[in-house]
Amino acid sequence: MGALDTLLDHPALWRGRSATPAPDAPVWPSGHAELDRALGGGWPRGQLVELLGAPFGSGETRLLVPMLTACGQDDYWIAVIAPPATPWLPGWQTLGIPPERVLLIRTEHDRDTLWAGEQCLRDPAFGVLLAWLRRPVETALLRRLRLAASESRACAVLYRPPDAAAQPSPAHQRLRWQAAAAGLELHCLKGAGHWARSGQPLWIPEAPEA
Amino acid sequence: MGQPARPARAATPPEPARQQLSLLPAAPALAPTPRPPEARPASSARVPREHWMAIELPHLALEALARAEPDPERLQRPLLVVESGAIPRVHAANRAARRAGARPGMALGDALAVLDTPELVEHDPDALRTQLEMLAGVLLRFSDHVHPEPEVHRILVEVGRSRRLFGGLEALRQQAQDTLAGLGFHPRIGLGRSPAAARLLAHLRNPAIAEDPETLRRLLTPVPLEALPLAATTREGLRAVGLRQLGDLLRLSRPELARRHGPELLDLLDRLLARRAETLPRFTPPPVLDLSLRLEHEIHATTALAFPLKRLLRQAEAQLRGLNRSLQGMTLELTHREARTRLTLERGQPGMRADEWLPLWQTRLERETLPEAVIGLRLRASRLLDPPDRGDSLLAGDPASTPPADQLPAVLARLRARLGEPAVTRLVNRRTPRPEEAQGSRHDLAVTPAPVAPTPGQRTVGAALWLQGPDPATPPDQPQWLGRLEDGWWDHGQDARRDYARALDRQGRRLWLYRCLRSGQWYRQGYWG
Repeated sequence: MGALDTLLDHPALWRGRSATPAPDAPVWPSGHAELDRALGGGWPRGQLVELLGAPFGSGETRLLVPMLTACGQDDYWIAVIAPPATPWLPGWQTLGIPPERVLLIRTEHDRDTLWAGEQCLRDPAFGVLLAWLRRPVETALLRRLRLAASESRACAVLYRPPDAAAQPSPAHQRLRWQAAAAGLELHCLKGAGHWARSGQPLWIPEAPEA
Repeated sequence: MGQPARPARAATPPEPARQQLSLLPAAPALAPTPRPPEARPASSARVPREHWMAIELPHLALEALARAEPDPERLQRPLLVVESGAIPRVHAANRAARRAGARPGMALGDALAVLDTPELVEHDPDALRTQLEMLAGVLLRFSDHVHPEPEVHRILVEVGRSRRLFGGLEALRQQAQDTLAGLGFHPRIGLGRSPAAARLLAHLRNPAIAEDPETLRRLLTPVPLEALPLAATTREGLRAVGLRQLGDLLRLSRPELARRHGPELLDLLDRLLARRAETLPRFTPPPVLDLSLRLEHEIHATTALAFPLKRLLRQAEAQLRGLNRSLQGMTLELTHREARTRLTLERGQPGMRADEWLPLWQTRLERETLPEAVIGLRLRASRLLDPPDRGDSLLAGDPASTPPADQLPAVLARLRARLGEPAVTRLVNRRTPRPEEAQGSRHDLAVTPAPVAPTPGQRTVGAALWLQGPDPATPPDQPQWLGRLEDGWWDHGQDARRDYARALDRQGRRLWLYRCLRSGQWYRQGYWG
């Protein structure tokens, strides 16, 4: 397996269907060099990314702070849909995220969450979408969200409970996160690059300023 | 509710590009048919002279009714608009009623004798006046000088200065006709060099356009004297001396006419031939939008509201175009027998197009259950804005462009329409020390809040990401201290002294905690991560 990966990553080898995203595909920086490399440059814009894991509050939002900062400073809006808690915006602001660019949307059902997400993705004003799902959802709804994401310039991040990993998903990338010592461990369940094939977890240390 | 097919020209405003084109001398290439004389360069080079368009609305009462009527079948049955009084009279009768022999002006008793159980609707002159003024506001897009004459259901528009912009008088008449038809009105339009001539030609349904005094004179010569707005005695006197046509009058000597039939007759002739100017006051529309529609049938389901609402929104669009204003939010009042339901809708960007507002309202109304049947609609907007630049909509469609910094995402209106207004908010910093009270939801999205830096107190409690609680918590093992918050020390018993910390719990959560210095109890304030 390792030998094949070395071969596939060889620059002289050209593959008809590029496994890694094109180098100029728009991304938001992840703030972490290794993660940037694993994701193919950063958090992909125009893609739907699922983050599976529990419990809420283990650092899975802090993981995205560099992306949110970059997005807000480029004057894009951030949609926060159905989060389990209220964003503490003075904290976000201290980290460099402009609070007036954060739109908070509360919903009662996952169906509404996905609908609102799709609407936001169809609006060019949004750069990042964060949405939380509580229960398993129909694949058809996720497919709509994926379609909306791929036609947008936003990075759509969908937080789902860990048991959703058993359910197939049309998302472009699926990462499972787990709290680890002083950081977060990320497993790639689905993706286009080397990382997904390797099956190796990536350890992201907590940002030093935090 | 789908959009019923409508004529392509209905209610759509003249495209700016077309207006521009028609200003160019190359315009005849677009329309190879011979142009009416007024389009000749020789005449257009002249100083624009007053020219009036008289718009008569003979069926105003019936058309105003039809606008509110979702069921076209009902209009096929005989219907009478009745003027109440000592003897109730027929004010207007629809085609079915007229076919059966009912005529406007007839006593109601006579009309009922020839009709089999017609629908009766009460005549409401005030509503018609409002209706006519609304239409006058709409016609402001053709000229700045508009004069409604509510008693006779007529509107006069001075078009001498705007005719070139709209591609000639003939094209202008067509556009006025289409605009009104799009709103459900079918006017008779007459054009003349004086208001009086325009009124007369509209009344006679004569489409001719007279550019110079000689043509006008020739045009008016065969007009029967009965058509002139004269006092009955004058008319009788003229008939007694054997005068039948307007031409007969014009041949007679003026002093003689004045002596025999009074100066009013001469005055009328002079006004008809534009020899004497007639000053008409200018109509200024109210600077707010307030349109109402009375429903003849009660509506019980929100979906059925779409039809009358579409009418209102079209009307609003036409009026806003006339005013050259736009709007960002509006209020819809549903009138019930006893109460009223008030709904508001706010959009991210200003706009006046009915096609954009209608789906938003439909989504909004889907959430609503009607407490009672609806008998009327009222659409209001007190804040009218300058219209947006036309370029905006082009840019918004291009995802590659960076979003305009000061504009709200257009999607907000749709989100709010479905999820409800409180569900879509921005949080603003109230700058109070206690985190659980420091953030307020801001629903008025139209105004961007001034950026507020976190207070020093808010900085000391740390850059946590999520707020929750506070809920009592078990003391953490290894708290990492953040800072101390002191608040309310002036308010006895309400003081809060807290030491903030963050800590990792056994499940791996990064908690945001504080210890109350008074009780020593730990509380969870939210999550760090």
